[in-house]
Amino acid sequence: MRNARRAALPLAAALLLSGTAACSSSASSSDSAGGGVFTTIDGNHPISAGAPMNPFNAAGNTFLGYDTMQLGFTKKNPQDPNDFFPGLARSWKTTDTSITVELEPGAKWSDGKPVTVDDVKASMAIALTQGAATVGAGVLTQGLDVAEIKETAPHTIEISQVPGAKNIQFPRLVLTQKIVPASVYGSMLPADVWDVVHASQSADPGQADAAKAAVDKLNEIGKKISAFAPATDVSAGPFVITRINPGSAVLDRNPHFFAADRIGPKQVVVRNYTGNEQIWNYMTNGELDAAPFTAIPDNVLQRILKAGNQRVDAINYVDAAIAFNQSVAPFDKVEVRRALAHVIDRAAVTKVGQPVGGAASKATTGLIDKVAEKWLTPEQQAALDPYPHDETKAAALLQQAGLTKKDGAWYLPDGTPWTITLQTVNGFSDWIAGGTVLANQLTAFGIPTKTALTADFSTYKKEMADGKYPVGFWLTALGPGTDAAFQRLYGADNGFTAIGAAVTHKTGKGSGNWLNTPTSFTLDGATVDPGELTARLTLLKPDQQKDIVQQLARLTNQQVPVVQIWDYTNVQFVNDKRFTNFPKAGQDGLLSNSPGVWMMQGYVQPKSKK
Amino acid sequence: MRAVLLRLAAKLAAGLAMVLTVATFTFFLVHALPGNPGDAAYEAYVLGGMPPETARAKVAVIYGFTSHEPLTDQYLGYLGQLARGNLGVSISYSGVPVSDVIRAAVPWTVLPVLSGLVVSFLVGCTAGVIAAVRRNSRTGGLLSLSGSLMAGVPSFVLALLLAFLFHTLWNVLPYGDTSDVTIAPGFTPDYVGSVATHAVLPVATYALLSYGGWLLTMKSSVASVLGDDFILAAELRGIAPATRMRYIGRNAVLPLFTTLALSIGHMFAGSVLIEDVFDYPGLGNLLLKSIGSRDYPLMGGAFLLITVTIVLANIVAEMLYSVIDPRVRR
Repeated sequence: MRNARRAALPLAAALLLSGTAACSSSASSSDSAGGGVFTTIDGNHPISAGAPMNPFNAAGNTFLGYDTMQLGFTKKNPQDPNDFFPGLARSWKTTDTSITVELEPGAKWSDGKPVTVDDVKASMAIALTQGAATVGAGVLTQGLDVAEIKETAPHTIEISQVPGAKNIQFPRLVLTQKIVPASVYGSMLPADVWDVVHASQSADPGQADAAKAAVDKLNEIGKKISAFAPATDVSAGPFVITRINPGSAVLDRNPHFFAADRIGPKQVVVRNYTGNEQIWNYMTNGELDAAPFTAIPDNVLQRILKAGNQRVDAINYVDAAIAFNQSVAPFDKVEVRRALAHVIDRAAVTKVGQPVGGAASKATTGLIDKVAEKWLTPEQQAALDPYPHDETKAAALLQQAGLTKKDGAWYLPDGTPWTITLQTVNGFSDWIAGGTVLANQLTAFGIPTKTALTADFSTYKKEMADGKYPVGFWLTALGPGTDAAFQRLYGADNGFTAIGAAVTHKTGKGSGNWLNTPTSFTLDGATVDPGELTARLTLLKPDQQKDIVQQLARLTNQQVPVVQIWDYTNVQFVNDKRFTNFPKAGQDGLLSNSPGVWMMQGYVQPKSKK
Repeated sequence: MRAVLLRLAAKLAAGLAMVLTVATFTFFLVHALPGNPGDAAYEAYVLGGMPPETARAKVAVIYGFTSHEPLTDQYLGYLGQLARGNLGVSISYSGVPVSDVIRAAVPWTVLPVLSGLVVSFLVGCTAGVIAAVRRNSRTGGLLSLSGSLMAGVPSFVLALLLAFLFHTLWNVLPYGDTSDVTIAPGFTPDYVGSVATHAVLPVATYALLSYGGWLLTMKSSVASVLGDDFILAAELRGIAPATRMRYIGRNAVLPLFTTLALSIGHMFAGSVLIEDVFDYPGLGNLLLKSIGSRDYPLMGGAFLLITVTIVLANIVAEMLYSVIDPRVRR
């Protein structure tokens, strides 16, 4: 949704620029460099003037997959959270309590020093100072609960989880930590850092104060590391930063990279952006070899395609939905929520809200449709209510809930006219456009509906958490993991906090609970708690999750805490004027990573080489 | 000389009081904004694919940078830090001093704003003189019309138009960044040329936006001076037209100096929209980013810098005005 948020000015620019762009000439810095300069934008990471070249700084100028390396790069496989492309790890094996990693034997830093176990050990300690330790303090749960790291053979290390901990995400958390050189960062870690880590991980109630003190100490170290500004970039990735301007960075090929022969571009330029419009303009001028996902109107798409860019689609684990505050009547009645799901013509809303990269949701399950198809059998999918556009059914459901219709307008059970204010956020162009269609549909059905804008997303979050909006747009199904997806419905926004399998629930002012879904439901004759089911997902292996996923999907489909409207598509662009052999549409795992990771797999070669 | 120093001291004291007032106002204003850096950061991490637990934990560390003291205690602490020249530590940049972040952005606002102001002032005033002297000719009419048009165009419309024409349509000027990153910085023709070409569009926007104001004000001022007795006397005494024009110009430009100082503040404020359109990484862009991430210290620092700039510019203008026009010193 950051992409949608960035589309306020962009939309104005698009309107201004549309229709005439075909006349634009195209030239770029890449041309002048003989095709060896790969120009792109890091969609998750604008350049930050004044920020250090430090991957642990929240706005630091480093680039994952180019100069910042991990042990592996996730394929975002919804059925296997531990499915990865190799990074500094050539291979890995997992057990219930540990992961054994074989480091790439030829891996070297850009200063020529080899990547060693000490680097990994220092990097894991640093990771534990960056907040991951806080969650696990005194309770062995979802944090990066690394207890020991030991070399078991040359280039091979065993990374053990804290005894007693049970976290299905452990291998993923280990593999995705940023690995930095101990020669640069190690001096900021005290000699006893692992003792402090172990103290922070103690599950002994008698040691709770010591654990808390240890966490505080780790956080203090973490602050210093975050603010650290290395004089030069020392990279184990395919590129190393040569220079950073306030608005772009240049990275040169790292001659010591273990697979340097696979890396096509001799140089990468990463440009800044402040909104979608900049990315579109660069593409229109043929200045980007690859562009990240942006929410995009159809006229801009045509302009971009005319300029010679090619669209590459991949799965995007995000869904736009209409969410209800169930503490507000009449949304506390399930019949009302179901009726609204029938009133909304999702295809029509999607056509306006997400014309380029959206697919109307088939059924509300808490998951995007492509993930639901992988987790539910065809029979289970067929049993879901798709809530088709059906105003007769909607009317019947509302009458069941005690509402009445007079002179074409619906009235609440107490006789007051029913009106809806649908909340959206300023700058979220797709929500605003889709919301207008949605409001028209509801108004035509007899529920006068208007859209209202909140100034920005921070305010939206705050006011939503305060329970200010009875109905508003919301992002759901944030996968690929089913646990993360259902957390969006049955996690903090619904007052649930999970510490391992132990779940607590809060409601009322200050709790952050704005969805206000009941905590127990009857499903197939049994009472289930969606918060508890969701928490269990984080502890179970994918093959053990099926029953719970199916229960939660059915529950969500029946109770409709949100109406899912559209699934986003990850629409990226590549330009083959200078480079060729880009990943193709459908290579979802690859396309979920930066082009630096594509290059490590041998993709993106200069055209002149062919 | 003593009188000048006394006047300067009085102005500085008034300026300091103004800065303190604005700093106080800004502090409470930014803290009154709904949302907080933690929420903004959490959402950004989750949307970036981070599991909620990890995101929450990471935010917990970021929160370590945010004071949980009562607001009045935070305010007193802020004033204390300010007195020591310390703007605090950025939240969104994880503990980097605000002064470091601002220092990196400031040159890229000062350079185009001041260049644009100087260019527009020189061109606008010259055109204003011509428009006044030849106010009954076609040239004068056209110049006046151009001034009226440019004075009425909103900044973002002009910026979008220039970006479209010179970058998207004709692609003759670069867009985004301050120079070509592949050129090593230094006092070399390549680098200086690259900085200059990258600044053309923002400078042109600033210049065009204020050109109309200068032209119309100067035209009005010159027209007023033209009717003064001393000009008539000079004409009767047979003083050369060029010399008379110098008299006219010098007398007419005096009232514009106060406006010049105020324009600096106006253009700094306008940098937010213009830098956003051109993706030019100056103070305006930084301010937008800090508001989005609710980075209170950075917001406060950026606002304060803009305030100090305006106050200083006003003091300099007033002092300069008293030097240029001896009547003010009476």
